[in-house]
Amino acid sequence: METTIEIKNLCKSYDHIKAVENINISVYRGEVFGLLGANGAGKSTTIECILGTKKQDNGTISILGMHPQKERKKLFDKVGVQFQEANYQDKIKVSELCEVTASLYKSSLDYGALLKQFGLSDKLKSLVSELSGGQKQRLFIVLALIPNPEVVFLDELTTGLDAKARRDVWKSLSQLKAKGITILLTSHFMDEVEALCNKIMILKKGESIFYGTVQEAIATSPYEKFEDAYLWYTDEEVENESV
Amino acid sequence: MKAFRTLLKTEIRLSIRGMDMFIFAICMPVVVVIILGAVFGSKPAFDGAEYTFLEQSFGAVSTIAICAGGVMGLPLVVSDYRSRKILKRFKVTPTSPALILAVQVVIYALYSIISLILVYATGAIFFGYQLYGSWLQFLGAYLLVMLSMFSIGLLVGGIAPNIKIASAAASLLYFPMLIFSGATLPYEVMPVALQKVADVFPLTQGIKLLKAASLGLPIDSVFIPVVVMIVIAVICTTISIRFFKWE
Repeated sequence: METTIEIKNLCKSYDHIKAVENINISVYRGEVFGLLGANGAGKSTTIECILGTKKQDNGTISILGMHPQKERKKLFDKVGVQFQEANYQDKIKVSELCEVTASLYKSSLDYGALLKQFGLSDKLKSLVSELSGGQKQRLFIVLALIPNPEVVFLDELTTGLDAKARRDVWKSLSQLKAKGITILLTSHFMDEVEALCNKIMILKKGESIFYGTVQEAIATSPYEKFEDAYLWYTDEEVENESV
Repeated sequence: MKAFRTLLKTEIRLSIRGMDMFIFAICMPVVVVIILGAVFGSKPAFDGAEYTFLEQSFGAVSTIAICAGGVMGLPLVVSDYRSRKILKRFKVTPTSPALILAVQVVIYALYSIISLILVYATGAIFFGYQLYGSWLQFLGAYLLVMLSMFSIGLLVGGIAPNIKIASAAASLLYFPMLIFSGATLPYEVMPVALQKVADVFPLTQGIKLLKAASLGLPIDSVFIPVVVMIVIAVICTTISIRFFKWE
């Protein structure tokens, strides 16, 4: 199988404080990879280093066989990104933000269809700032999909969405996965990770404490449910340290 | 090109929706012309002058929009787009954050040019204003003023750590320059001591050039203003390119 995202020995520290240490990830085409961990565990730093918006201290990164900083323009024609923070202009409308986003790429999908798919058709003329949290979140997923990407990065995928909207987003992502799109996401919802991810990595204080499938994570823990297993993984370290 | 055009169209809409530039760059200069024209009419600039007060002020008033855009609009929008992480988002697209900055520079240049046309039209239609000097020289000087003022704006916006500091720095540059460089308060009516202080502003030098060009006066001391403005443009552009913060 073709590897679309390959990260080797990624290290990054801020003022001598280690943010991420020795991260190795490989994601195959059509896979969904989940990056898990508490707030401040290093998820966003990892994503930013992968995307090249932060420079790693050490390690190699390749997406679709390209270097994210050296081949930025070529690479990001095929990559969609949704950041954790909202980044749009004040007083911009949904249609305008979509139109501008579409114009940045060589080829793009019809954003009208995407907005419909994510239940935002009636918001076309609304100001982005007036959307509810969940609507904004869905809009940002739409923006990440506009370039018709081969790889999508979704940071905190469904934070702020209600139960129904989350299920709808899962359904859409499963369809993308079936089409062969590679997805790297971070999430705090274990049900979502279980439903979507082929492989996961659990980060704790910038280090990988688990790498494998959800089933393997459950099997190597004393628990039956993934959320319990996840908490066991992240808590175990605390107990060890306190000894 | 497609990205540039779409972005330009959208950013112009956003800018008009924001209203600030419409008021400060489009309406204000026209209002100043109307006031100057109504108050001073066709009075000579001083006893024995061959040109009127309004004719003398034309160059100065035409820079109000450059000043508003260059040292108020540009720094604020650059710093705002940085703090909103819009520049960062452009880094993960096939274009670059420089594109949206280029679009902003074009927008403020458009405001300045539209303002120049309106100021001229208002003066010409209502107060019989005409430009005695050379349009070519005038437009050349106008471009130079734009260049140096916009470079100051990019510098302030590019290196200010946050929007509060950018806003404070912009106000600190904008208001003294607008008032004391002759753009609103005529340079000629200021006491000599104040004129000396005002001379340090690059805008004051620019206005001297524009005034000479518009009145068709011999530009005997053209050398200093031109050099001052070019030096400022080069220094500010170099520093802002070198130290620009994208995040």
